[in-house]
Amino acid sequence: MSFLDWLDNTSFVIWIRESTSVFAYPTIIAFHTFSLVLLVGLSCAVALRTLGVARDVPLPPLDRFFRLMWIGFWISAVSGVLLLASDVRGFLDNPVFYVKLASIAVGVFMVWMLRRLVFREAAEPGRRPISSAGKTVAAGVLVTWLVALTVGRVLAYDRFIQWQTAGATLVLAIVMLVAGFVGARALRATPAAAAPRTAR
Amino acid sequence: MEAFLRYWMLWPSVERFLKAYAWAWPLMEVLHFVGLCLLIGIVGMFDLRLLGFAKGIPVPTLRKLLPWGVFGFVLCAVSGLAFVTGIGANISIHPYVVLVNDVWLQWKLVFIVLAGLNLLAFHMTGASDAVEAVGAGQDAPRLAKVIAGASLFLWLGVMYFGRLIPWGQFGE
Repeated sequence: MSFLDWLDNTSFVIWIRESTSVFAYPTIIAFHTFSLVLLVGLSCAVALRTLGVARDVPLPPLDRFFRLMWIGFWISAVSGVLLLASDVRGFLDNPVFYVKLASIAVGVFMVWMLRRLVFREAAEPGRRPISSAGKTVAAGVLVTWLVALTVGRVLAYDRFIQWQTAGATLVLAIVMLVAGFVGARALRATPAAAAPRTAR
Repeated sequence: MEAFLRYWMLWPSVERFLKAYAWAWPLMEVLHFVGLCLLIGIVGMFDLRLLGFAKGIPVPTLRKLLPWGVFGFVLCAVSGLAFVTGIGANISIHPYVVLVNDVWLQWKLVFIVLAGLNLLAFHMTGASDAVEAVGAGQDAPRLAKVIAGASLFLWLGVMYFGRLIPWGQFGE
């Protein structure tokens, strides 16, 4: 009997797979979502700050949120392993699952780099502007999480829909980015909008 | 009431759109998850600061991040409305039937309303103005802390019940 056969038939895995209780599969997947907010939500917020949003927020105290991100990572990993165990063959036979794992690995590496590059710089007194390398990594954090999220969502669909959804997400992201840039520039160009900014 | 909801909860144009394009439903799912990361990540960060976490951050500076949380809310609201009004594209059922039968959807909606009222309380009680004066290393007033704690609890609840919706009872 192989390891996978044994795993499939442990009473805990059977419970996750077959129980109708909301505390089985649904609650495990809910924890997977909570931890998504801790890891992805918080790191995106810090990445946005690095890219110049809310630039008055001091960087050193923001560093404390990295601990919550790593807690999020471990909750994600544990809940993810449980979800994987509930249908281990289904996931391991699906090549897209490996794309998800790879993009998460890149995302975690990006968050780690962001802390190294930006928060080590911030700790040095007299170095206010964030380096372009730091900003590049911050943008990388946002892009990588968007990829990981999209791949994670389309995991359950067939190959054709996966490609279509990836394309639609890419197009929409580019449209929103361009519209955001143009919109922000237009707002800044309006004297009425610029006035309160200079008054402060 | 039933006739009213049956009429307004089903948007045939949304249903047709979701049916016509195979990528539309999963795209809405992606938007819902991007939105929840932004909304709850950023609002949660603000709430945690009010509760005393990462006290070195002056509260007024963190406020400038909140528009991105609002953007997340808009993404969630748009995609969420698409799921409800266009549910027929996914399973053949009327959204009204799901609304009256799925307790998790009902709980989620109740928690969203409570989170909205909590936000209203934040502005109406003066807590919002009071935290403008909370600088680096300073504690937020007790009322602001209570509201921040409620906000965290309510948004976690919204996520939990939202996640359970597919396992709820859809039909009679």
